[in-house]
Amino acid sequence: MHIVLIGLNYRSAPLEFRERFAFRREDLPQAFSRLREEVGLREAAILSTCNRVEIYAGAPALDGTLERLHRFLSRHADIELSGLSPRLYSYAEPQRVVRHLFSVASGLDSMVLGEAEILRQVKDAYEAAQAAGATGKLLNGLFQRALNTGKTVRSRTGIGRGCTSVGTVAVQLAEKIFGDLSRAVVLLIGAGKIGELTLKRLAERGAGELRVMSRTLERSADLAAAYRATPVPAAALPAQLLEADIAITSASAPVFLLRREELVLAMRQRHHRPLCIVDLGVPRNVEPSSGGLENVYLFNVDDLQALVHQCHHERQRALGESEDIINQKVDGFLSWWREEFRMSNVECSPSS
Amino acid sequence: MITLHTWCSLLSYAAFLLAFIAGVLFLIQERQLKRKTMGVLFRRLPSLESLDRVNFLAISAGFGLLTIGATSGFVESALLRGRWWTGDPKEYLTVLLWAGYLALWVLRQRATLRGRRVALLSVAGFSLVLFTFVGAGHLVPSLHPFI
Repeated sequence: MHIVLIGLNYRSAPLEFRERFAFRREDLPQAFSRLREEVGLREAAILSTCNRVEIYAGAPALDGTLERLHRFLSRHADIELSGLSPRLYSYAEPQRVVRHLFSVASGLDSMVLGEAEILRQVKDAYEAAQAAGATGKLLNGLFQRALNTGKTVRSRTGIGRGCTSVGTVAVQLAEKIFGDLSRAVVLLIGAGKIGELTLKRLAERGAGELRVMSRTLERSADLAAAYRATPVPAAALPAQLLEADIAITSASAPVFLLRREELVLAMRQRHHRPLCIVDLGVPRNVEPSSGGLENVYLFNVDDLQALVHQCHHERQRALGESEDIINQKVDGFLSWWREEFRMSNVECSPSS
Repeated sequence: MITLHTWCSLLSYAAFLLAFIAGVLFLIQERQLKRKTMGVLFRRLPSLESLDRVNFLAISAGFGLLTIGATSGFVESALLRGRWWTGDPKEYLTVLLWAGYLALWVLRQRATLRGRRVALLSVAGFSLVLFTFVGAGHLVPSLHPFI
């Protein structure tokens, strides 16, 4: 039995192209039966995410299989074969197919290096194929080892470590101050886009209470509705400062919204309860020297950006180590595959 | 009575040691946050909030145990020697220690003092513990001749 792969990803095709190929979960059983009947595959699994669509397959013979897969995808996406081919990659060498899947599962082929979501997506793709009866010994072995590889790479290397966006870095910093965020009061001041994103990340991490303060009431109301936050009037800033644990400032203002002396006063009234301030404004919204106050933790855009870069750098460094693990796992799989399918190979093509 | 005195005193030292460790870790973590560095330590160390909580719990427990330990020591001395205060250097140091941790506990409890300062004081407090436990016996003749 041969292993083949055909697919496209964010590197080979733009979004408006990729989206035409996406397989919905409910379409999968029908797609599998067509792959079996029209393409002549014995086993198949379809990995369809927003960044890639890939078909992994076990075929009894190679001749014509890739061409038939091209035609299958061309019909599926309703795109002329000639326009399609340059956007697709297809491999029939077992080593390349296996290495590709193992790299994908480990997050090495992702847009954000080392992201964790893809491992779950590979698992879902495998389970969907298995549930539809489309996998057999070959793909069961391949996908189980891919999932195992992904887990090993994540746990043994720093590939998934750290944060890759300003929002997630802010969340991590806040968690290092307050631990669990479920009791934290978050105050968003201003209507900037990254401020909103940071609020979103904090909400996702279960931040206890969200409050939004914006110059226009409309904008406050929009944000409040989107994140189940409470809108608060701008005039209430001094009072809000006493209750907030995390303050995000994201306003375009010519002067500081928070001055050092105001914070000195607020900290005294807060009984020095720690205050985390994330200043996303450019120009800055918070007087920089406030960061020197005791129990005030002030981070500006550059601080967060530097931490994001540091994280990307660390992930890059983990790349070599990850590839070593993948190489080992690929070798392991290939020797298993040769052992298991030697007999059936001979049956299929006596000449080989 | 002797065992109660010994055990409670030793356990209070252990609790103060825990407060000391939590305090040191707090100072390291807080320094990393202020300097905005996220090293290996940063990821491994718990949050400031949990270190602060452990520190406070350990100080509370240590203070309670020290109170029992010292009181039982005085009672024991009164029974054995007929006077509760023998003028032993360890007694003076213990009273000093007790007062110091009481002050720290009250300040922390009333939230006049927070974060880094509490951590610093619990580190300082532990050096007094070490001196009481180990050092006092060597400097002056003492009724507590261990170590």
